[in-house]
This record gives sequence, structure tokens and C-alpha cells, in this order.
Amino acid sequence: MKKNLMFDVRDVWKIYSMKGVETQALRGVNLKIRKGEYSAIIGPSGSGKSTLMHIMGCLDTPSRGTVFVDGKNVSKLSDDELAKIRREKIGFVFQAYNLIPGLTAAENVSLPMRFAGHGRSEAQRKAKELLRKVGLGKRFEHKPNEMSGGEQQRVAIARALANDPEVILADEPTGNLDTKSGREIFELLEELHKKTKKTIIIVTHDINLAKRTHREIRIRDGKIIG
Amino acid sequence: MLDLALKDLKEHKIRTVLTALGIVIAITAIVSLGSISAGVNELVTSATGSIGSDTILVMKKFDLSEMGGPPIAYQMEDIKKEEVEEVQSISGIKRSVPIISKQLRGFFEVDGLDMDELDIFGAQDLEFKEGTWPDNDEEGAAIGYVVADTMDVGVGDYITLNKKQVEIMGIFEEGSGAYDLVVIMPYDYADEIYETEGAATQIMIEPEDVSLVQEIKDTIEEEFDDLDAMTMEDALSMFQEMTATMNVMTFGIGFVASIVAAIGIIITMYTSVLERRRQLGIMKAVGALRRVILKQILEEGLLISVVSSVIAVGVSFFFVDMLNNVLLGGSNLAVITPALALGAAAYGILLAVVSSLYPAWVAVKTDPIKAIREG
Repeated sequence: MKKNLMFDVRDVWKIYSMKGVETQALRGVNLKIRKGEYSAIIGPSGSGKSTLMHIMGCLDTPSRGTVFVDGKNVSKLSDDELAKIRREKIGFVFQAYNLIPGLTAAENVSLPMRFAGHGRSEAQRKAKELLRKVGLGKRFEHKPNEMSGGEQQRVAIARALANDPEVILADEPTGNLDTKSGREIFELLEELHKKTKKTIIIVTHDINLAKRTHREIRIRDGKIIG
Repeated sequence: MLDLALKDLKEHKIRTVLTALGIVIAITAIVSLGSISAGVNELVTSATGSIGSDTILVMKKFDLSEMGGPPIAYQMEDIKKEEVEEVQSISGIKRSVPIISKQLRGFFEVDGLDMDELDIFGAQDLEFKEGTWPDNDEEGAAIGYVVADTMDVGVGDYITLNKKQVEIMGIFEEGSGAYDLVVIMPYDYADEIYETEGAATQIMIEPEDVSLVQEIKDTIEEEFDDLDAMTMEDALSMFQEMTATMNVMTFGIGFVASIVAAIGIIITMYTSVLERRRQLGIMKAVGALRRVILKQILEEGLLISVVSSVIAVGVSFFFVDMLNNVLLGGSNLAVITPALALGAAAYGILLAVVSSLYPAWVAVKTDPIKAIREG
């Protein structure tokens, strides 16, 4: 196992079974991502790109095959062991932002830090710092429904950075945004990569956005095609 | 993370209030009903405790099951004068005191007895707030604090007993236990007021020697088919049996109320977990461990139950006050003891936390991917 590998996906299959009918979302995927890589997984709807991201992000486990995250086999870990890896190593940005509606921007951002054992005030202080970094210095106390889509996605990026993870996984981060806001979010992720050299993987079906990353990983019908 | 649990409860006010309401009703029912049992217990203990342990109480036979209300509200049949005299003539009796006992307003009792024999009734050491005992040849009565307070009378005022005016000559100090609820007057005067013609509701007997207690009791029961003779031990166990029955009823009703409340908590908390499935999924996605989710739901249950139990105990004090004043004639019969209040509150808290376990387990099992995708 090479030490500079962040992800090593080996012959991963994901099979869903519903009412006796099997659907193969991933069919023997092999993929290596180096630490600090800025890449995009690109493919049409239903190609398996989000499923792959969920498995790499320890949100889901493969039906067959092995996934190493920073050298650790995560394929057969328990719920709590996966949660710990997510909390410490991976930050998520979702298409639908997935912020908790009842909490303010600062509270949403502080949540992963609270789960990691930080005190309320310390987590709030760090959350405000992160919100300033993503350009939301004046929106600490706003709830998600009081913010635009672009602003909500910035909060989600700040939350993804909360525990200073090595990886940011962004699933269609611009999918719910207008062109201008989408471009701004993409630029924010680009800038983040330049400044922090974190491993950033963006799942998208937008070829133009994918081209702006350093590596395009194409997926179709559950297989990596290039 | 109690702050997050509190925030969530505030976000869903109606759901929180409905859950709390179930707990408040159950705990109020337990405390209110339990207060009557506790009050009767205290009353019986204080009443029997002041009477000598070798005393025998004779009264007409009665069936416990015929008693509809608290023991004090039951009007016993009188023992006729001739029978009283026959009982008094049994050998081995040092002294026997016939007592006329009549109900007053359902929860008070009028007792007529020889004023020189107050010690057998356990009343000799009572202290007076105002006035004193009437003499045997006087037409008057000494009354308990609650009786005076309820009827709003003082020494020199009159109360109506069996349509006749009776002068108040003394009022006992507040907190005289069972004597707070009685009117005591000379036997002859009570005989005149109630026209009992030398009869007695009960006869209290002191034997010449403690060893004769059982013998006298047996003689009375053998010779008089219609009479019951009870030692103080018998009386105490009879009252204990009655209060035990009341306790069973109280806790039976309380238990049913708790089951209803528990189902209410489970339904509202379960619904709340389903409503927040996406939120729970997000929490898990960003790194919340299973125990964090479990803790948050249990903390919500705990917060609701602590607040509801405190409210329930407060409401119970109000209810019991109303119960005493409206239904129990200002008798202070229902008493909320600290043990009852604390026990019921602790039970309410335990009930809510246990009822939150299933919804918490459902929350813990939330699949983050499904929850985020399906909402």
C-alpha cells in the first residue's frame, strides 16, 4: 500500500436488492486517488457516481470488494467505526446542502466539532472563523431558510472543514444553484485546494466543471471508463 | 449536548406540550389519589397511637365492603342501652366508657363521652388554642381546629348538631391529628342532642390486667352475636387493610394512567424521530456516533419529564387543596407527603426516559444515506 494514497478502491461492487430484483450500481470499480489530488468523478445520472462517493466517504459499505481510506480497510467496519472516520478524515458537501433547519449557520458548522468532543463555545468560535473564511462573516446567526442557496452551500463547505479533514467529498455541489452561485462555489473549492492541498473529489455531471479539476474520472453503468 | 435537545424541543412546541401533558395527567392522578391514602394513613396512625394498646373497642358488627367512603364517613349503628350495660357487667373489666359517635358533614365526627375518661379516648393531653373542655354537667363541646375553621366559629359561638344549637367551649390547637376533625362533648349532652336513650356507638374497655384482653374480647364475641370486639392491634390491622386497599386502587389507577402516558410519549417521540429522519441522517453523516443520537433522544425525554413532573406536583398541590376544600369539607384529609411528591416525580421521569428508549433505538438505526436521499 503506497503511503501517498488517500483512496484505494479495489474491485468494488454495490448490489441493491429490492423485491427479489437485483440492481448493480457498481460493477467491479478500481480506483486510486492520491493525497492532495483535486479530481472530479463525472458520469450521467444513474451511472453510480454518487454510490461510489458514498462508499469512498464511508457513508455506505460495498457488497463486494475492498476500500482503503488512508491505508485503512473500511469495507467491513461497524457503523460507529465508519462514523469516526467520517468525523476525522472526511468532510461532505451535498447537492441539497443538508443543513439542519432548526440550527443557525454557526451551530450547523459547529456540529461535527461537538460530535468530536469539543465544547460548545470552542466549537462556536471555530465555526465563526470558518464561516468568515467562506465569506459568511455576517451570517452566523441566520438559519438555513434565511439564506440563499449559494450561502447555504458555503455553510455546508464550512461544516465540511470543521474537523480539518484530509478529504472533501462534494456530491453535485452546484446542482441546486444558479450559474453565478455555482461558479462561486466551484471557485471556493478550487481556492480551498490551492490553499490547503486537501484531497478534494467533486462528483458532477457537468463536463465543463470537471475539466477545471486536475483529473477527470469517468464512470458509466457502474464501471470506471477512463 | 443538552442544548441541542432543548433546541429541538423548542422547535416543536406542540409536540413537546402534548408529550408533557400525558406525563402531567398521569403524575397528577397518582399524587392526588395517593394523597388521600397518605392522609388516611397519617390519621389512623395518629388516632390509634394515642389510645392504650390494651384497650378493647366494642361496636356493632359491620362489613368493610359496605363502606363507600373513607372510614371516618361511615355511620355505625348504635348499641342499645341494655346491651351496653350487659357488656359493662362482664368480669375482668377495670373500666368501660360508652361513646356516642355521629357523623358531621360527612368528614367530621361528634363523640360524646364521660369527660373524666378522656384518657381512654387518647384525648387527655390535647392542647387548646382557645377555651377548654366542657364539664360533664355542662351543655357545650370542644372542637377540632379544622372543624372550627370550616364552620368559621370560635369559643362562645354555636354550631348546629341534629338541629340543635351547641355552644363551643374550646378549640384544640392546630395539628392535633385526627382530633382536628372531631367535636367532643359530655356523654349525657350528646345523648340528649342525638336522642340515643343511653345507647352507645362504641364502648371502650380497659381490662383489669393486660393478660385479660383476649379473654374479654372472646367473651364479648361469644355472648353477643351482633357485636365486634377489637383490640387496638385488630383496629390497626383493619385500618391498615383498608388503606392497603386504597393504595392498590390508587396505584392501579396511576398505573393505567402511566400506561396511557407512556404510549403517548412513545407515539409522539417516535413521530418526532420519523419527522427528523433527514436531520438524524445528516448528524450521522457528519460523524455522530450511535450513542450521541441515543443520548440526544433520551435527553429530550428527560427534559420533558423533569419539567412535566415538576408541573404535575405543583398541579397536584392545587388539586389536593381543591379536593380537601370542595369534596372533603375542608378536612385536610388528603395530604401530599414529601415521599409521595418525590416518588411520583421520580416515577414520571423514569416513565418518560423508559418510553423514549424505543424511539431512541429507531433514531440510532437511521441509515444516513437513505435518510438524506428520502428525507
